[in-house]
Amino acid sequence: MTSQELELDGLRRRYGSVTALDGLTFRVPAGQVFGFLGPNGAGKTTTMRAVFGVAALDAGEIRWRGRPVDEAARRTFGYMPEERGLYPTMDLFDQVEYFARLHGMDGPAAAKAAWHWIDRLGLSGRGRTRIDALSHGNQQRAQLAVALVHNPELLVLDEPFSGLDPGGIDDMSAILAERAAAGVTVLFSSHQLDLVEDICEAVAIIHHGRLVVSGTVADLRRGDRPRLAVRVAGDRAAAWSAGLGSSAGTVQSVRADGTAEISITSTPDSQAVLDLARTAGSVEHFAYEDLSLSEVFRQATGASVGQAEAEHAAARGAAVTTGARR
Amino acid sequence: MNSLGVGSVRSRGSLQATWLIARREIAVRARTRVFIITTVILMIAVALAVALPAILSGKSKPEHIGIVGGDTTTMSGIVAEAGRLSGTQTIAVPEPSLATAEAALRNGDLSAVLVANTKIVVKQVPLAGVTGATATLAQLAGLSKLIQTVPGAAAAVAHGVTLPVTGLETPAKSLSSRLTGLFTVIVVWILISVYGSQIALGIGEEKSSRVVEVLLSSVRPVQLLVGKVLGIGLLALAQAAAMVVVFVIAGFAAGSDLVHGATLGVVIAGGVFIVLGYAFYCTAFAAAGSLVSRQSDVNSTIMPVQLPLIIAYALSYTVIYANGANTFYHVLGFLPPTAPIAMPVLYAAGDVPVWQVVVAALLCAAGTVWMARIAVRIYANSILKTGPRISFRQAIRESRAA
Repeated sequence: MTSQELELDGLRRRYGSVTALDGLTFRVPAGQVFGFLGPNGAGKTTTMRAVFGVAALDAGEIRWRGRPVDEAARRTFGYMPEERGLYPTMDLFDQVEYFARLHGMDGPAAAKAAWHWIDRLGLSGRGRTRIDALSHGNQQRAQLAVALVHNPELLVLDEPFSGLDPGGIDDMSAILAERAAAGVTVLFSSHQLDLVEDICEAVAIIHHGRLVVSGTVADLRRGDRPRLAVRVAGDRAAAWSAGLGSSAGTVQSVRADGTAEISITSTPDSQAVLDLARTAGSVEHFAYEDLSLSEVFRQATGASVGQAEAEHAAARGAAVTTGARR
Repeated sequence: MNSLGVGSVRSRGSLQATWLIARREIAVRARTRVFIITTVILMIAVALAVALPAILSGKSKPEHIGIVGGDTTTMSGIVAEAGRLSGTQTIAVPEPSLATAEAALRNGDLSAVLVANTKIVVKQVPLAGVTGATATLAQLAGLSKLIQTVPGAAAAVAHGVTLPVTGLETPAKSLSSRLTGLFTVIVVWILISVYGSQIALGIGEEKSSRVVEVLLSSVRPVQLLVGKVLGIGLLALAQAAAMVVVFVIAGFAAGSDLVHGATLGVVIAGGVFIVLGYAFYCTAFAAAGSLVSRQSDVNSTIMPVQLPLIIAYALSYTVIYANGANTFYHVLGFLPPTAPIAMPVLYAAGDVPVWQVVVAALLCAAGTVWMARIAVRIYANSILKTGPRISFRQAIRESRAA
């Protein structure tokens, strides 16, 4: 299974003065849902477009099963771009069948697969409806059908969860999990790190076109320093934690309800923390807690996702102004 | 479910994809109400343009035939019989001498003069030969002569029984040949501008709806472009062929001079330049369409592409209706962007020999290759760029750098 994988190796791309990709390297294993995460402007879309040869690279190589990606390999990939697009006046079935055939399926197989995915994605009865007459949610499903219809071996989805309601998010993640279970390599991007942490098994998090961290979600969220969340009844400011020696643990933050987040260096330290809390009062809450993915991002980069996006938007505004002046 | 289907076809390569793209263009466009209605309207327009003048002239204008010499009653009888047989109303006009008859012929009072037992004189013999009442008259008068001179009948039969028809003026390219040229030019103009803007609009649609990114994830830009112009081109060719068929059928049915006078050469030259003109312009229209992000901007980017066509088309009327083309128009006939319109006109008007038509066609074919190479580069470079409209200058510069 692990031989079926996508490798991105040293990808570089500059647009004028803006560096979109700066030596990005990571691997995507087969058979699991892999999240490609980072704030807006981190270079996710450029990377995904490069997989399909739609964006050019200044340097680096993308390999599929050990070989550079070529046209024949791309025909076995399925793609849902960030900017969704279908022929607005074509009907749903014709559209899905057309893309199946462009990916090399013969007529009868393409028609069969098109009907299969139209039904599977809850679009039964809409096969003869024009795309522009479908609701926004159904257009999203149609786009997914186009990406899935030729039974791709690699599925690349750019922000598949954006604009979906909670029900839509559940449907989408169920389909991604189902494809991964069928042995398909599934790579999807998102800038909403915490939204997708339960959906994917492994992630690569990028910032400024470089890899920040990658690994399984479980490992990343556990972090290298375990974290305790402790609350003592009646102590809204977590005043009890002032008595912690620096050897036992460090208070990271105190939540509004008085829960102190304490990072410790080793497991036995937790007992010292518990003892201290119990002397202060009755302990209402005591638990190991995982980091959220956005905290993983903040720990690794020193900036929150929101700050990173604001910084990107400002840089982009500056680039546009320079362009206009020129 | 489909792994077999994918695997077996994957190796068939790029022609398969190009044809799929062409087929989609045909299927999507031929089904639209606009296409069906315009096709029907064009065919009706062609039929009326060909048939109406013939029907109107056949009904309202009797032919005046001058008679010189011989017995007036016999001669008038021959003229009347020729009219009856050819389905034309004929009036015999006795003329005192050949000189007065020829004068009447020149100023248009007479359409033919029958010189007893000798010949038929017309103002100008049409290139395709004499038709209608005059042809019948020549046969009847010949027969009459044969009967009168029975001893020499054998010799007369050996030489044919038809009296010779001679013209007062040397034959030039007839008006009907020029009109066939005009018809060709209108077809070239309509097909290139209508289908060219359809190419540009179609590409603008793919770009503005962003479907192009999904398409280009599985096919190359050149396949997408070639498939599109091939599909639309086949549709255009089918429509042109339908118009020619209607032209010929309506022409014969109405007995129009347009068909009889149309030399095969003009029709062939027109056909060659319809194909060359479409080939030259289709990629240019595609490149123009790839420059915009919104479909509504397409009309302004295709204007510069259409400009040479508009100039050649506007000037073609002066060549058709005036005698001969000036040097400027001759030059247009050899430039690839204007040749598809100018050359058929020059040829139909009898201003250029065949070898010059061939040279212009070869130049145009070479220009088509050159244009396609530039246009494909512009297209590939611009099709995925979003944002404001890209200027031609910028697109050419960037496609050189790429």
